[in-house]
Amino acid sequence: MNTTSTSTLTTHFPVGHKKTSVVIKENKTDVIVCRYDDYFMVMVTQLGCVGTILHARKEEGILVDPTFSVSVIFGKRDEPLLVAFGRQLIEHISFCGSSRPLVLTVGLKDHSPGTLKEIISVVLENRLW
Amino acid sequence: MENVNLEGKLSGMHVNGESHMGGNNKDNADATLNDVQITCFTEDLHDATLHFQIIRFSKQIYAWIGCNSAKFGHLYAAAPTRPNNSISVTSLLGGNADNTGSSMARRLVLKMGLSVVLACNIPKDSPILEATAERKLIERLKILGYIRTGPHQHPG
Repeated sequence: MNTTSTSTLTTHFPVGHKKTSVVIKENKTDVIVCRYDDYFMVMVTQLGCVGTILHARKEEGILVDPTFSVSVIFGKRDEPLLVAFGRQLIEHISFCGSSRPLVLTVGLKDHSPGTLKEIISVVLENRLW
Repeated sequence: MENVNLEGKLSGMHVNGESHMGGNNKDNADATLNDVQITCFTEDLHDATLHFQIIRFSKQIYAWIGCNSAKFGHLYAAAPTRPNNSISVTSLLGGNADNTGSSMARRLVLKMGLSVVLACNIPKDSPILEATAERKLIERLKILGYIRTGPHQHPG
């Protein structure tokens, strides 16, 4: 997997971001992770556009184990693997100790499990939480 | 005789730079257009600080505007839609159709001809701040070459 990455976590600009580009199954895939005060944003695209947008958050409750809510707010609503993708990321964010919600944008040519698995590992390598 | 010699030498010259035209340069230009470009900058106004983040994809632009903070704000999407390419705007997170940001997203699409996803935390009922933020954003989009002035603007 060929990877080119840039990251800026300077204190001057208040939003940190990391950008990387990988080739997955011959498709150039751009991954951007941004950290806002109250949100994380992850953008993944093979299409040159934002694609489907999902919102994921941890629901605070009285139970010991947290519950999570993931919903598609724009785009494809018939791709359950995208919701699963969002779920994995918000769980990881929660596991790392942050309760910030996530905006996830996914514009892919290929929604196969293998592709999404590789994308998840790229995102986690470039995470900002 | 000297003039003939000079003309002979001149006719034998060719300008360097032709080798830069053709396949390699076109590939570089295509690669640049397809690369995601991120631009971040801050504008200090006397009563507020505006932060801007522009992420340019090949077919779309994402922009975030922060007023005095790095909170995400409300999220909007705007795009030209059929049948007559009129601009449609929708609020995706927080906000509604008359919030700060929704009209700005619409005007950005008018200027750029590309669909736009805009996040903005400018407080409502701040029309001057909103107008200033939009102006600063458009100025930077022009500098970056994402907006072409003149007849290339979206007819709306």
